[in-house]
Amino acid sequence: MTAHLVIFVAGFAGSFHCIGMCGGFACALGRDPQGRGATVLRHLLYNMGRLTTYCFLGGLAGALGQVICTSQGSTVPLLSGPLDTAQRILAILAGLLMIAMALQFFGLLPRLHRVAPGFGASTLAASMRGLLAAPGRAAPLAFGVFNGFLPCPLVYSFAAQAASTAGALPGFLTMTAFGLGTFPAMLLMGGVGRALAPAWRQRGVWLAGSCILLLGLVTVGRGILPFAAHIAHGWPGGYPA
Amino acid sequence: MTGQDHALCSHCLLPVGRRAMRRTVNGEACAFCCYGCCIAYQIKSGKTEEWEAAWLLIRLGVGGFLSMNIMLFSLLLYTDPFNGADAAMLPWIHLLLWLLATPAVIILGGPFLRETWFHAVQGRLTSSALIVLGVGAAYLYSAFAVIEHSPKVYFDTASMVLMLFTVGYYLDAAGRARAARDLQPLLAAESEWATVVNGDGEYRRPVREVGRSMLVRVRPGERIPVDGVIKEGESHIDEAVITGESRQIAKGVGSDVIAGSINLDGPLLIQSSGVADATRWAQICQSVRDALSRRSPSQRLADTIVSIFVPIILVLGVGTSVYWAQHLPFDRALLIGLAVLVVACPCAVGLAAPMATSLGIGRLARHGCLVRDPATLEVLARMRLIAFDKTGTLTSGRARVVAIDSDGTNADEVLARAAGLERHSEHGLARAVTAAAAARGLQPVAIRDVRVVAGRGIRGSSDGRTVAAGSAALMHELGWSLVPDLAERGRSREASGHSVIYVGWGERVHAVLSLDDTPLPEARATVEALRHRGVRVTLLTGDLPAAAQRIAAAVGIESGDIEAGLAPRAKCAALDWRRHDHGLVAMVGDGLNDAPVLVGADVGIAVGSATDLARETASVVLPLGGLWTLPWVIDVARAVRTTILTNLMWAFGYNLVAVGLAMVGLLQPVLAAAVMAGSSIVVVLNSLRLERLPDPSPMSEQQSVAEAERAPAPRSAAVAVIAGQVIQRG
Repeated sequence: MTAHLVIFVAGFAGSFHCIGMCGGFACALGRDPQGRGATVLRHLLYNMGRLTTYCFLGGLAGALGQVICTSQGSTVPLLSGPLDTAQRILAILAGLLMIAMALQFFGLLPRLHRVAPGFGASTLAASMRGLLAAPGRAAPLAFGVFNGFLPCPLVYSFAAQAASTAGALPGFLTMTAFGLGTFPAMLLMGGVGRALAPAWRQRGVWLAGSCILLLGLVTVGRGILPFAAHIAHGWPGGYPA
Repeated sequence: MTGQDHALCSHCLLPVGRRAMRRTVNGEACAFCCYGCCIAYQIKSGKTEEWEAAWLLIRLGVGGFLSMNIMLFSLLLYTDPFNGADAAMLPWIHLLLWLLATPAVIILGGPFLRETWFHAVQGRLTSSALIVLGVGAAYLYSAFAVIEHSPKVYFDTASMVLMLFTVGYYLDAAGRARAARDLQPLLAAESEWATVVNGDGEYRRPVREVGRSMLVRVRPGERIPVDGVIKEGESHIDEAVITGESRQIAKGVGSDVIAGSINLDGPLLIQSSGVADATRWAQICQSVRDALSRRSPSQRLADTIVSIFVPIILVLGVGTSVYWAQHLPFDRALLIGLAVLVVACPCAVGLAAPMATSLGIGRLARHGCLVRDPATLEVLARMRLIAFDKTGTLTSGRARVVAIDSDGTNADEVLARAAGLERHSEHGLARAVTAAAAARGLQPVAIRDVRVVAGRGIRGSSDGRTVAAGSAALMHELGWSLVPDLAERGRSREASGHSVIYVGWGERVHAVLSLDDTPLPEARATVEALRHRGVRVTLLTGDLPAAAQRIAAAVGIESGDIEAGLAPRAKCAALDWRRHDHGLVAMVGDGLNDAPVLVGADVGIAVGSATDLARETASVVLPLGGLWTLPWVIDVARAVRTTILTNLMWAFGYNLVAVGLAMVGLLQPVLAAAVMAGSSIVVVLNSLRLERLPDPSPMSEQQSVAEAERAPAPRSAAVAVIAGQVIQRG
């Protein structure tokens, strides 16, 4: 549970980073002319679409991890329990990926150019703007769904974490925690508007980077150290997030 | 790309064939080759304010939302079965899944169902029928399962298969758009717009409305829409489309520019010198459009296979279900049958050839090399023997005065008189003589009463004396004396394949001019490059054997591979004879006087005359002076063929293995759908590798030759050579 809490915090902090891109979308989604209730509904639908995509990606990544580690067949709870070799390798890879992402958040790594395969992602992003103006309840929902698929280092990090859990369900839970973590800021963006000091955004990015770094280190450790799991499990008072 | 043109897919520019889907996007009628292109095109070009494009996205988004939720709930069911006290929840969850799945299947499956229906009305079974049948079976079974409270439902399978297919088609089409991006400008000649400048401002006009001597503004990065002359500005220009060579050429006020070339870095004001739709650029575009909409034999074969493939798979799928139903529970058997239907979509087979050929044709066209149809590319890749015509193909086709033998008279005097006569003639040799005189700065002697003696030469009078230039027969007719030494020289020159002009005045022959054709500087490197590619090179010419031998030696064709003195009909026979030994043969000519031979070859390659493509005499046309591109063209053709073969091998191999696995029950339907979507993306990616072929580079091909050719020197310096070779006899 503690791990999911960390992920939630990372998602929350990271979402200040998201404000750069997704926040712009949320703002553009704007207010509904039919009043406050309609506006809230609009943004809830948008975020629900986004969350669904994240959850789905998490489940998918977890299932993928499971396929890789299928020799054992049994899934392990997040950050604990004994691991077999395949799971160790997966954990190390995922952890390294997360650390790389975290370093990128700190600006210590050059931006990985076009991490996502360019296959239609940019045209999709461009044409999605058409949905923002479209009337009806379905448009923000669809918009959220596509939004979730847009390339984003934060999402990649947690998808990697989800894959390292080597199970569809834990993977799903990982991404759910992350997605829920992004809720407050994104809702805030939509409701309150765009007034958030850049300094705060920077702090959010740092905090998110720290969380991801920590999770990445623990994940790598899980792969390398036989007893790291126990340490993680027995860490008193949760994580120093 | 115009609305009326429905032979090509509006999105990926591949031929739509009989698979066409028709839609109206942005108020324009469009045709698409598949559902994926339909989605991708609307996503890409649908105007955002247009409801239709947004509606498509909304449908896909909501469909995705629903099916992802179904998947997540099903995940819950799979990992944590409701047992014990929670068992009562199970039917409710199933009901919820049903509620989610029904709109999802309707939204995502609608297009497939519609396509199946349209095709069924036309009496055809296509791959969408497989999807509809498979998904429909899974959905209906699950619906009954909900009603009957049975423990298993497969809504997730139904919706995920649909979603994967939709996404797969979209990615597929998005990849193909990269190919279209390269082809697009090649099809746009007529529909392009030009900025016309007149007294009171600038107007955007369709290119076909640009008339002679109108002023056109061309900004940096734009394609020059019309042939013309630069009136203002200077810039670098890339004329690859016309010359084959991608190179920056500096142009300024007064320079000619050609339609289709690209203005690289400076704004230009151009005065049009002709009508826009009569440019070579327009011809290129037309020929590319024609080539793209034709189908190759291998493509027709693939299409036939696809059309019998679908019913076979239907039978196999149903058969598999029936077979397994005797050994396994019905729902498992149904899923196995579904996997067979879903995994065997023949999309990859259908896509194997057209994308590769389109990329190849577009690639060639961007360097001015035109191909009549995809079949030509295939033949070009397979042929192992190229026959060259000599004059105008391996040689410049323009005669040059290479030697002047005289009886002691000054060579300049001879040339001045000869030029005075020959400037009244249109004959090719005559022009060579006047050019030689002009190059030496000689003033042609004024000659009156000029008369052309048909087939013999030309005569006139100057200072009351008769002057004549022409064959030995003409001199003989005039009864003029010829020094035996000079006569001997003339004969030996003639015997070695030179064209000879006797020049005389005052009742006497004073000199013999020897003229010869010169090999093109790039000919030798081209022949070498062809041989390097395993292509045998021969020379078939109507000229004298001696002349043929000399040119052959100069360009590096072995003497055993020469046939000279051939009439056009004999050339055809010679080609036929070689076809016996070498299979497919190609013939390269200038397209002017060897049209019948070009038609007779398996591939007729004309250098420089684009009209041949329209006249169907040649099936490949190289740019003017573009002989050097020939090895590259063959490279491209071979790369295209390799790509098609690997694509087909992959597509068939994949289908065999995947259908086999699915029939044994080793493939989950959802996994099958993912694999299937991936398979056509593999074909697209494999075809896109063609984009990475190197450009043709005249430099590397010609470098060796440039050294060797420095001695005979370029044409303008011919005079210096003549002066050196003049033999004065006294």
